[in-house]
Amino acid sequence: MPSLQNSRARFSSQIMHGVCTACAVVIIATLILITGYLLIIGLHSLNWRFFFNLPQDNPPGMRNSIEGTIILVALAAAGGIPIGMLAGIYLSEYEANSVLAAPVRFVADVLAGVPSIVVGILGYELMVVPMGTYSGWAGAAALAFIMIPLVARTTEEMLRLVPGSYREASIALGATKAGTIMRVVIPSATGSLVTGAMLAIARVAGETAPLLFTAVGSARLVHDPGRPFPSLTLRIYELSNEPSPESRSQAWSGILVLIALIFAVNLSVRYFTRRRK
Amino acid sequence: MNPAAAEIDAKMIGRGRSAYGEPALYLAATGSALMILLMLAALLSVLFAAAVPSIRRFGGEFLVSTEWRPNPLPVLKLNSHGKPIRDARTGMKVVDHNEPPKFGALASISGTVQTSAIALVLAVPLSLGAALYLVRIARPLLVPPISFLIEFLAAIPSIAYGLWGMFVLGPWMGGPARWERIFGMIPVPAGIESRLGAVCRHVPGLQWVVERRIDGKLVHIPTTGRDVLTAGLILGIMVVPIITAIARDILRNVPLAQIEGTIALGATWWQSCYEMLKFSRSGLFGAVILGLARAAGETMAVLMVMGSTPTLTASPLNAGATMASTLAGEFPEAATNDLYRGALMELALILLLMSLAFNIVARYLVVGNAVRPSAGY
Repeated sequence: MPSLQNSRARFSSQIMHGVCTACAVVIIATLILITGYLLIIGLHSLNWRFFFNLPQDNPPGMRNSIEGTIILVALAAAGGIPIGMLAGIYLSEYEANSVLAAPVRFVADVLAGVPSIVVGILGYELMVVPMGTYSGWAGAAALAFIMIPLVARTTEEMLRLVPGSYREASIALGATKAGTIMRVVIPSATGSLVTGAMLAIARVAGETAPLLFTAVGSARLVHDPGRPFPSLTLRIYELSNEPSPESRSQAWSGILVLIALIFAVNLSVRYFTRRRK
Repeated sequence: MNPAAAEIDAKMIGRGRSAYGEPALYLAATGSALMILLMLAALLSVLFAAAVPSIRRFGGEFLVSTEWRPNPLPVLKLNSHGKPIRDARTGMKVVDHNEPPKFGALASISGTVQTSAIALVLAVPLSLGAALYLVRIARPLLVPPISFLIEFLAAIPSIAYGLWGMFVLGPWMGGPARWERIFGMIPVPAGIESRLGAVCRHVPGLQWVVERRIDGKLVHIPTTGRDVLTAGLILGIMVVPIITAIARDILRNVPLAQIEGTIALGATWWQSCYEMLKFSRSGLFGAVILGLARAAGETMAVLMVMGSTPTLTASPLNAGATMASTLAGEFPEAATNDLYRGALMELALILLLMSLAFNIVARYLVVGNAVRPSAGY
């Protein structure tokens, strides 16, 4: 016969079982609520003109901001991904317990958690002040600053998963270390390296704070990164401060487009990782 | 056999043996690794250099002063009765002198602490519960879609949360107390803040939540929805997926023998879960710290939900500012004023050091201090 204490424990166990399930339900309900709002309100004012019109056109669109975000992220990726990957290669392939590796790994971890607004301010001090103008270059540099530690750490993790026997085989066949890295180690980790890079891209595509004082935003169609540069996130922020309902619905549509972009990147990452198996 | 391994043949590899390839890759890799060190050095040195005017002027007082006054404060000339003297001709009050601008970080720091605390109080139990659900309750078929949803929630940019908080959550919190329908279907109680206020008004000792003192008079705080409470809530929603995902991975790594052992000893489901939580407590604490670091450094969502008014407030129904939102909100105005900019830079430096500290602590707790094996040559 179960003692009183035993039945009490069993009762509280059932309660906690229910509580844990409720926690999951609450979180999923919140997610559905938020995405539901974004979808319903965003789709409401979304039409094809949104992608091809400029803010001053009628009806207004976000063509310049969408292009701006794509250019900014592409510039950031062009700078940040090679540097990040090379640093990851250093950590995984050249490290050999050197004095440099431990602090680099540590700093990369810590940099990945720096608030993005601080990165934006650094971009202002290092790029905008010397250049004398807000510019797309400064914005892209700030985004690259965020990408580098992320890419470096994922690259290191992914390269470490490549079996050491591959490297030994390559060296035994007379390859140099650089040859081994470029033709054996990296090709066998391509899929996961692409994943890491794409996730870093998805992460910076949604950043606003680092661009506030670097790219600043623009209502015109700008392709020259030497000038103040438009971005989807900056435009959404700007619109959210305007009182008219039209601006507000534009902002919702912008968010929807932004999330769709990020979602597309994430989905293609899933595709990449799945195909490898 | 892995196709990449099959591709290793002597001819291909021989091509890597150019005179310049070897040192070039090494130098590029080392340079990039050094670049990462340089980035942190640049952050610290640039912010410190720009903060010097403020550090010189205010010193340690910056950390304990609540005053944030970018403009000079006119001090009126008073007569012997303590009343302001008026100019005989114009009838205007006579200004005795101007107090110079003054900056203190305490209001922003306390705003960061308040919003992060609200966020954690909300997010930690929910996340741990959901992580336990994923590891111990959910059917195997349900785990991937739920995990995907949670990771999707983590990938939504902060400006989306900001917009949602500004136009949906804020009005819902601060509006009149009544029932509202979500998507025209599910009824939910709206006007949380006025309901909360109604409760606090009648509970002795909680008056400070609904009243504030302005010029010595007690005034009811209007419920606007654009305040510390809403900002904390939105931060809580934002950190839930982060803590959940990390906690899930940590709980999954609890050795099966540990769980089997507790069950074999006759533990109930919850007692065995509790042992799991206890077993991985340092990792879970690290997950919470990572969530805290995210909440404390978040800019856009806070800026959009409550703006940036760096005043010290006790009540969560007041608008305030966090360090990050003060930076984002005021930096454009400060560009030409060295002292103002210096104060903001010092604030940024404090924010940076705080996030570094959080991340260092979390890194040791989550990753552990384990030495990783090198790639093996």
